[in-house]
Amino acid sequence: MQPGLFDAPELHWQRLPARYALARMVNAALVNLLVGGLVVATAWLLPLPLPGWLPWLLTVAAVGWTLWRVVRAGRWATAFGYLERAEDLLIVRGLWTRELAAIPYGRMQSVQVNTGPVQRLWGLAGVSLVTASIQSNASIPGLPHDEATRLRDRLITAGESRALPL
Amino acid sequence: MSLLPPSRADGQPPDPTADTTPPVTPETPVTPGPAPTAPESSAAKRTERAHPLTPLIRGWVVLLAVLFSVGRELLPRGDEEEWRLPPLEWLLLGLLAACLVAIATGWWSWLATRFVMDAEELRLDSGMVFRRSQRIAFARIQSIDVVQPFAARLFGLAELQIDLGGETAKLRYLALARAYSLRDYLLQRAHAAPVDAAAPGPRTPTGPLDLNARLNDLQAPDQVLVRIQPPALLLAAVTSHEFFAILLGGVAGVAAALWLDQPWLLLAFGIPTISALFGFVSRRIIGQFNYTLSRRPSGLRISRGLTTLTSQSLPARRVQAAQVSQSWLWRLLGIHRIDLEVLGWGALTDNEDRSGVSTIMLPCGDADQVRVALAALWPAVDFRQIALTPAPPRARWLHPFAAPFLSWGHDDRLLVVRRGVLVRRWQIVPLARVQSIQVQQGPVSRRLGLADLAVHTAGMQLSVTASGTDASALVPQLPVLLDLAGTSPAQDVAEPVVDQPQPSEGPEARRADQADPTMSSSE
Repeated sequence: MQPGLFDAPELHWQRLPARYALARMVNAALVNLLVGGLVVATAWLLPLPLPGWLPWLLTVAAVGWTLWRVVRAGRWATAFGYLERAEDLLIVRGLWTRELAAIPYGRMQSVQVNTGPVQRLWGLAGVSLVTASIQSNASIPGLPHDEATRLRDRLITAGESRALPL
Repeated sequence: MSLLPPSRADGQPPDPTADTTPPVTPETPVTPGPAPTAPESSAAKRTERAHPLTPLIRGWVVLLAVLFSVGRELLPRGDEEEWRLPPLEWLLLGLLAACLVAIATGWWSWLATRFVMDAEELRLDSGMVFRRSQRIAFARIQSIDVVQPFAARLFGLAELQIDLGGETAKLRYLALARAYSLRDYLLQRAHAAPVDAAAPGPRTPTGPLDLNARLNDLQAPDQVLVRIQPPALLLAAVTSHEFFAILLGGVAGVAAALWLDQPWLLLAFGIPTISALFGFVSRRIIGQFNYTLSRRPSGLRISRGLTTLTSQSLPARRVQAAQVSQSWLWRLLGIHRIDLEVLGWGALTDNEDRSGVSTIMLPCGDADQVRVALAALWPAVDFRQIALTPAPPRARWLHPFAAPFLSWGHDDRLLVVRRGVLVRRWQIVPLARVQSIQVQQGPVSRRLGLADLAVHTAGMQLSVTASGTDASALVPQLPVLLDLAGTSPAQDVAEPVVDQPQPSEGPEARRADQADPTMSSSE
């Protein structure tokens, strides 16, 4: 069978750690529960002139939406893949809209490791690549912190040895 | 503009006379005469002033502004009944005073402005009360523009703008021939060309410039590649899609007026439309008048303009992508336009009468002129030779109108994307300029077996995306494309085909070689 457009060309995709999927799921759950909870609480507790079935409907919708978001968040994280090849870095991401981005090492201008308070809590960090074009959206979220630093160093070394002129 | 001269970076010894000059305190009487900042130590140094007519031209602008504002105050407003003109003597006296003040300040400023340009340094001293002395490192010069505003053009003068990346140093006004020679000298210096240290700086050829130099900034070794005649510009303007957009708006307004049976609406829509059409056409023709693309030893050059002559050099290596476009009427007439995405030039130009740099390479031209222009830019390649793969017929589901025209293709140097419905576009990207590649497939595309291929360039002005391509055909194509984009070709597309004797491959040689195309100069 012919390989698909988003299959790894040579080996398997390097995936993000399961911890990152969990982190995304927890994050999605918290955010959705907060927003959904506010809506549901308003519908139940405030004396609004609403038909009796509406609070029930809202509750079901909020729970369903939260579940959906949590599942999708996890699946997004497991669908994310990257691959360090000899000359370029490939990134594949997305569920509905699949995206494959290829960034030649020679085009990289800088590589950043960034992490926020919540990400640090999970021991995760993101790596993003900067090229001369802001359209190239090349970032890998949620790597273990040491791995992110190592990846950055590998990428920079690879980029320096191949730097292409603008 | 910073007061610090940007000369530290290149390790030149600081010029004590130039750099340590503090801003003179306001109470210091500044007498016109030999400028205090002129270094006494280097009496042999030739400092230069702008053209003596400068205060007149600058004063002229001030005078116009004064006349305009005062005139508006003095004109009857209509609602005031007992309005009367002040006595004529007073008016004339005021005018005279304004004139004198304008000329005096202009003259003072002219006296205070001096510059030095020789083998050693480029320094500008200016300021009437607060003085500044700016020394510019030759290597830092990004581009040099010679601009000729209308008033200056009447006297054969021009303004020299030295772009240093962040800031622009201005020398105004100089005789046109002097401005050209200073520009050429600076361009040469910025190319890091060796300069005879004993040479006294730029020389100006004596004698008046000939007509060609005046009208087009053309010099003897220049080779004219494309010249667009005014009738062709007129034809292109009245058949362009912008023209029809304005016309359509006006027609809609007039139709509404007729339908509502309101004759006054007819005027309200008709007159602005007519004036907008007229303005659009005349702006285009004035802005692109006598459009000439020429080649001179230092690179490509575009000159254009009727009232304001703009002549800019086109740094071929900084061109990231090109777009050839054709609106529907232009297709019948065989007219094309070329826009370029140039690193550092910012947004694509849509305002054709702008006098600064323009990203339009060819405002209108037939297929042959397009070929000549693109061959001048990228001599080694021809985008029409590249076999394009059309989007499969099922792409109609996603792109109902554009599908028949969508296609893309590449060879080992160029990637060409064809797209567009009303305005058809060929987007051409040298693979050596591709920063990254992205393939995208939405849910519908997945069902149809289609995918979108986007290439990202550093200019970020053209979004080059091949939409609705066959996904299964892309699978074997993609690795090839990635390899091409990720490796530097032996020879850049912007380099001439003819093999020139290669300079010695030291870092210096490469630096100078790369510095060359990043220079631009415009007038």
